[in-house]
Amino acid sequence: MTVVSMTVNGTKVTRDVPDETLLALFLREHLELTGTHIGCDTTQCGCCVVNLDGRSVKSCTVLALHADGSEVTTIEGLAKDGLLSPMQQSFHDMHALQCGYCTPGMVMAATNLVETYKGELTEEVVREEMEGNLCRCTGYHNIVKAILAVAHGEVTPHDKVEA
Amino acid sequence: MALQPFRLARPKTLAEARALREENDEASFLSGGHTLLPTMKQGLSRPPVLIDLTRIADLRFIKDDGDTVTIGATTLHEMVGSSQVVRGKIPALAGLAGSIGDRHVRNRGTIGGSLANNDPAADYPSAALGLGATVITDRRELIADDYFVHLYETALEPGEIVTRIRFPVPDIAAYAKFRHPASRYSIAAVFISRTADAVRVAVTGAGLRGVFRATEYEAALSKNFHADALEGLSIDSSTMLSDLAATPEYRAHLVHVMAKRAMNNLGTAQSYK
Amino acid sequence: MTQAKLDERILKAVGKPLRRKEDLRLLTGKGRFSDDFSLPGQVWVAMVRSPHPHAKINSIDKSAALAMPGVLAVYTGADCIADGMKPIPHSPVPSTQYDIKLTGRAGTKVFIGAHDMLPPDKARHVGEAVAMVVAETRAQAYAAAEAVDVDYEVLPWVSDSREALKPDAAKLYDEMQDNVLVDGHYGDHENTEKAFARAANIVSLQTHIGRVTGVPLEPRAALAFYDPADGRYTLYAGSGGAVKQKSEIAGVLDVEPKKVRIIALDIGGNFGTRNRAFVEFGLVCYASKKLGRPVKFRAERTESFLTDYQGRDLFVDISLALDKDGKFLAVKTSNLSNVGSRCVSLSPLSKGSGLITGSYTIPYATLHARAVYTNTMPTQAYRSSGRPEVTFAIERLVDKAARELGFDRLELRRRNIVAPEQMPYTNATGMNYDSGEYEANMSRVLALADWAGVEERRKEARTRGKILGVGFSNYVESSIGSPKERADLIVHKDTVELVIGTQPAGQGHETSFAQVTADLLGLPFESVNVTLGDTDIVSAGGGTHSGRSMRHASAVIALASGDLIAKGEKLAAHIFGVPVDKVAFEDGVFGVPDRNIFLTWFDLAARSNGPDIPAELRGDLKIRRDNEMHTPVFPNGACLCEIEIDIDTGALDIVRYSTVDDVGRCINPLIVHGQTHGGIAQGVGQAMWEDFHIDPGSGVPTAGSFMDYGMPRFDNMPSFKTRIVEVLSPTNPFGVKAGGEGGTTPALAVIMSAIEDGLKEFMPFKIELPVTSLKVWTIIQEGMKRNKKEARA
Repeated sequence: MTVVSMTVNGTKVTRDVPDETLLALFLREHLELTGTHIGCDTTQCGCCVVNLDGRSVKSCTVLALHADGSEVTTIEGLAKDGLLSPMQQSFHDMHALQCGYCTPGMVMAATNLVETYKGELTEEVVREEMEGNLCRCTGYHNIVKAILAVAHGEVTPHDKVEA
Repeated sequence: MALQPFRLARPKTLAEARALREENDEASFLSGGHTLLPTMKQGLSRPPVLIDLTRIADLRFIKDDGDTVTIGATTLHEMVGSSQVVRGKIPALAGLAGSIGDRHVRNRGTIGGSLANNDPAADYPSAALGLGATVITDRRELIADDYFVHLYETALEPGEIVTRIRFPVPDIAAYAKFRHPASRYSIAAVFISRTADAVRVAVTGAGLRGVFRATEYEAALSKNFHADALEGLSIDSSTMLSDLAATPEYRAHLVHVMAKRAMNNLGTAQSYK
Repeated sequence: MTQAKLDERILKAVGKPLRRKEDLRLLTGKGRFSDDFSLPGQVWVAMVRSPHPHAKINSIDKSAALAMPGVLAVYTGADCIADGMKPIPHSPVPSTQYDIKLTGRAGTKVFIGAHDMLPPDKARHVGEAVAMVVAETRAQAYAAAEAVDVDYEVLPWVSDSREALKPDAAKLYDEMQDNVLVDGHYGDHENTEKAFARAANIVSLQTHIGRVTGVPLEPRAALAFYDPADGRYTLYAGSGGAVKQKSEIAGVLDVEPKKVRIIALDIGGNFGTRNRAFVEFGLVCYASKKLGRPVKFRAERTESFLTDYQGRDLFVDISLALDKDGKFLAVKTSNLSNVGSRCVSLSPLSKGSGLITGSYTIPYATLHARAVYTNTMPTQAYRSSGRPEVTFAIERLVDKAARELGFDRLELRRRNIVAPEQMPYTNATGMNYDSGEYEANMSRVLALADWAGVEERRKEARTRGKILGVGFSNYVESSIGSPKERADLIVHKDTVELVIGTQPAGQGHETSFAQVTADLLGLPFESVNVTLGDTDIVSAGGGTHSGRSMRHASAVIALASGDLIAKGEKLAAHIFGVPVDKVAFEDGVFGVPDRNIFLTWFDLAARSNGPDIPAELRGDLKIRRDNEMHTPVFPNGACLCEIEIDIDTGALDIVRYSTVDDVGRCINPLIVHGQTHGGIAQGVGQAMWEDFHIDPGSGVPTAGSFMDYGMPRFDNMPSFKTRIVEVLSPTNPFGVKAGGEGGTTPALAVIMSAIEDGLKEFMPFKIELPVTSLKVWTIIQEGMKRNKKEARA
């Protein structure tokens, strides 16, 4: 067991955890932030993507101890001032989610992608850069549209997060 | 298999890391963890202690030395892919780094981890061999031709730690790869470089013994550094890996096609498509 | 059922692309998937899984596992039976009057092998759970599972369905003579043979639609808690229908259904794989009672690959008789389904069998339908059960007929397609196609896909070393499904609640059902909420499969709404002090014409418990309505895709994909287009990458992770052009057909059509799905060599 401290969604947390605790399970089981999902064992599906110190990472292949002293943002931390984030809003507007299981990782990855590329994204780049996130429901069509809409500054959040 | 318990050691210096390894010869070094942790999750490897190398100072850097570019072992794929130094000096290497796994994997995976693991389908071994790089460890320097031994096997001694890799800056270089439809690792990938004294053609993803140099291709390109020079050459399929996605014959053919495509990618960061 | 004509004027929300109600929780990390639940004191299970395709279990030694840290118990099949656990009560033989009546040989009853929680006798497929370990942590359970020592006696095995037919094949069930559980002949044998005898041409095809797995991204998970105080089990486990799951789990536990509560709120994908109970779900309930602790299971992805119910795996041997003008005279087909090691569902065989004539007028047909047991994971109705398989067969055969007999492939289709004036059209197997404009769909998709520009694009592709293959497919499918559905409508203070027994896994029922309810009750969409997935609230319902939900839900909601309005009118009449026939209901308001008095739903709800209300009307304002609806509907459409084939490598790139889908009334186009997109990807996935391959030498599956099972991804899928057509079905109040499976149904066929079109210069060749780059490259290489040789000769 080792004490680990990090800032998650703006809140400092400290827990004593087994060394082998994966960041995804730390979030889900120790912090009860169950929005971060686990969909595979081989770092392929992307359901567990979170933001770690400004980088998108697959949290099922990062140890909680790796994130010691870091800033972590999860799907629960994206909304601001009671409103959906632009990417969340765009996914809602474009019907870019169905079952919702890949959605947290997808939104986190897409958010980071747009931050990286600013406004320069094209469909081809989105498709290439998002290949590490699998979705079984949408055929990706509406997700691509949703990401491009945010990249092109076409989305203004207006829906309130449920209380 | 769920991830089994282990102890994580987080040394701050190479000396500490070495000492930890000497204490326990079953301990594994951990860098980005993007090969080791999935392997452990599947129960294929169960080291009792992991020694995290990423907190050791001075292993994460990209340095422009003029004729060479030196990259620290824990430098992320993403850093290599987006580095102005690498993009300027060896764009093919930046393109290769930017083609590994996916962007999240590139945000964790490290060059040292990749080279130490020597996965037969990994990208970096082809760049190291194809550029004639030098792998520098905590105890010595190894030229790439001596470093890669066999599948998942390198010249590293037990406990030896890769600290940095020194790449000569070529006149020009290129990379082309053909990916597995599921894993997205290379089925066949070719890294070609030309320096003042040599042309090197390194092949990954395809060879039975891991990364290798295609010497006939090198000879042909040394005479005429153009895709046309490869006409009529072929790769011996008996030296190729085989799996459901690609027979040895198909792989041999793909290596040839990727070599031609690399010659069309010269000087760019293009790697597939 | 009788069809009251729907008053189109009330439709305000229906037909609009309203954004989904379920999104906000799912987008903010507040979804409630099975693994999101934890209970104090919970312990974990891991399964001991067979490494052999077929092996007798001589004994199981638990001692080493029991000695490991944290281990609480190890259970075997013998333990389960000793404690009275029963097999899963599967009902695999489709039984509505519209299903083909599948039987064993000579009309005998289909033999259904017992699907025990843990088999007491032998393991029948790789990955089958043969014992279960319970431990304090998940890691401890998985580690101990490796220490359980099973003494296996390895038996001969068979995984391929054609091999399983052979007399010397390994046999799975001692109770049977061989592995054949279904063997029946259907159709008009005499007239079919006559038609074949007089046919100018006969074209035949043997093909295999391979085995795939559904890959919902949420690995299956379950958490059970047994409360000794009331003897009830609570199970958190996602499925395709909590009500069905409840009866199956009660059956397994051998308790009354009321002793089981299933909670299944958000489901991370289903596609059919979750529509039958998994053994782990019964086992966690069992262990919870035994140990007095909540017990939890979460599958690794590898376990999902090996042991999620799988899909397809059908051999088809089909022949078509044509006259000299290309008119189809008759079709003969022999379909062989691989059900795996247990018979979980015969729906794929049955559903497909009814549609062997596809979208075409083919007067006569015969069918030989067989199913065999093999040493593989059981198959189940997987997205668009049975229809992609038979669509693949007939469409591929029509392409082949056109090629071999010199017809234009589109013209040959137009010449034989079922015309609108033939509707309702009874096909040669007795299926009654309800409505549709099949030929118009062809024209629509050709326009959508810019058919006129195809030849230009072919030339341009060739300049880049690419061959452009253009695929075409028509399709018609049937949507039947469980015939019963129940709706409760409850008027609350300022909302109306709909409780219903379907179980979405992303299909947006909370939204589309609310649209229907809102319009029928004259309420804003926002004031209707839908409750699903907790069997203590949802009492009945058929679950989600076979594209049944929207149709069944809209029908039962229409009936329930009618009842609720009638009840409201009586209440209003009493309050107004007028006879009930003086009360008019319009736009959600009860009033009396010519008098300025009115009551809203919420006014009524506020007063319905009042002392002034007569006893027979007094009480909460709510209604329960059951409905039974057997008549199938037939969604249909046409599809076109273009694939660029890299001549050097055989690599394939889908560059255009267009579909036209007649879904009947489209309640929410945003959702229906989304369903089409996902359906396309799922069909294309099977056609191009997905393959649950079993090593023919060892019987061991080679696909255990995303490292070796190719999936549709962002970068191998194109953007789609999808168009919805609404030819209403006369069979239900809203005219709904279905929108969830049309994307998948023609996808296998259209991809193969594009490949065969693109590679026609290299004919003849044999190819089966998936059309990998290796296969395509091999065809090109061999074809080039042959063409060169012929050119020289």
